[in-house]
Amino acid sequence: MATVEERVKAITAQVLKLNVEDIKLEHSFTADLGAESVQSIELVAMFEEEFGIEMDEDAALSVEIVGDAIKFITDVCKEQGVEVEE
Amino acid sequence: MRLILIDNLPDVRFNFYPLSLGRPLWELRCGMSSLADKLIAKIKPDSVAYFVPDYMAEVYKDQVNESVNDMASLAGDDLILVDPLVKAENFDIPVKGKSEVGLDEDGRILYAQIKKVDMKKSTFDDIEEFIASIKSELPNVSCKLATWEYVWDLILANGEQITTGFAAAGRHGFEGSLEEPVAVRGDRKDVYVAPGVKVHPMVTIDAEHGPVYIDERAEIHPFTRIEGPCYIGKDSILLGAKCREGNSIGPFCRIGGEVEESIIHGYSNKYHDGFLGHSYVGEWVNLGALTTNSDLKNDYSNVSVMMDGRRAIDTGSTKVGSLIGDHVKTSIGTLLNTGSYVGAMALIMAIGKPLPKHIPSFAWFIEGIVTKGFGKGKLYETAKTAMSRRKCQWTPAMESMWNAVFEMTAPVRMKAIKKGRKTLLK
Repeated sequence: MATVEERVKAITAQVLKLNVEDIKLEHSFTADLGAESVQSIELVAMFEEEFGIEMDEDAALSVEIVGDAIKFITDVCKEQGVEVEE
Repeated sequence: MRLILIDNLPDVRFNFYPLSLGRPLWELRCGMSSLADKLIAKIKPDSVAYFVPDYMAEVYKDQVNESVNDMASLAGDDLILVDPLVKAENFDIPVKGKSEVGLDEDGRILYAQIKKVDMKKSTFDDIEEFIASIKSELPNVSCKLATWEYVWDLILANGEQITTGFAAAGRHGFEGSLEEPVAVRGDRKDVYVAPGVKVHPMVTIDAEHGPVYIDERAEIHPFTRIEGPCYIGKDSILLGAKCREGNSIGPFCRIGGEVEESIIHGYSNKYHDGFLGHSYVGEWVNLGALTTNSDLKNDYSNVSVMMDGRRAIDTGSTKVGSLIGDHVKTSIGTLLNTGSYVGAMALIMAIGKPLPKHIPSFAWFIEGIVTKGFGKGKLYETAKTAMSRRKCQWTPAMESMWNAVFEMTAPVRMKAIKKGRKTLLK
């Protein structure tokens, strides 16, 4: 199974129309990867679908960095009993 | 004698969604006043006691001076209980008659006369116990009283109710200021311009087909045309509006563009061009420039409305526009289909074509689909900002009430979100 990092990067690449290898852990979704506000909403929706979780919108949308998103999603998966490869 | 108004039947409340999500049924408006105002004017009680769903009790307590959800109000006086949806003009029960409970064919209480001497018990744990008690202790009689069945009934009766309300108010004449030239068509006795109103030059007031009542401190800007029957609420501003017949607006609304046969609650804005017809708009709504709704289908067939997002209800009318909940915001160029339902707190970003007919409460409609958007927190921030601009306060009680509505409306919203995601995943 792909890791959380791989899955987050794959979704991010798909939504923002980027190459996966261009996405770094330290990248900001908005400043570095060019996500507009509508795309942020789409990213949260796609992460929820990918991992089968429900995220609090306010908390999820306050995450700005790719690495932080991976940690945030991993934590939510644990809280909601969803098994993932770290 | 104390009038008791009870709003405790979820199935009945549902027929008045999304407008009843944030207010008791009797606060819905038709004509120049609310349903409660009409019943109070008809029955003339010494006092009124209200029983509302628990989740809105705190907010409602802040809005009225009478008792809310206070069981003590059921003792100490003769009571008359009236279903808040009974049409006041048809309420012909003598209010000082003997104790009895009037039921419709489904067993719903339409009214109850309760002499305090006829009640064995004077204290009750909750309103349901009180209702069960009067039904079992007092004589039951079957009765037929006309009631409002759906929210669009109010829209369709609005013009007629304005005419009735105007006659009952018994006012006419020009007490506000009119800057000439102002054209008044029809009989001047069918126009009332209240004190503090400012009517700018180049305004037409057309009372030929119905009365026009412009309430205190309203301001009518140049090139506005107001056709009666029409009620313009206190402190509202019409900005060059084509205000067609049958509108009830205000208080504190800002209205431009073309509006016809619509009811608009307080503090809502439709500043710019765009058509709103046969619609019911809640409070604190902002309709962006060129927001337009259809109120007539191309084939002239009856309009249906999807209150729950799946089951279409035939309104029985060829003219029904949009039902727009409190705090809704639409972007520029929003196109609303005939018989649209836009839930409370929904935020719409237009897509250049008519929206789906049902947008759930708290939905963020973005890129053509219902999403969770930025969540309810952001919607509350917007509501807070909008209210502060009019010197009103967003209170913790309001937040609790809307949190309850958020939970109540979650199943329908989540279905729409899931449907939207399927589109995204494609």
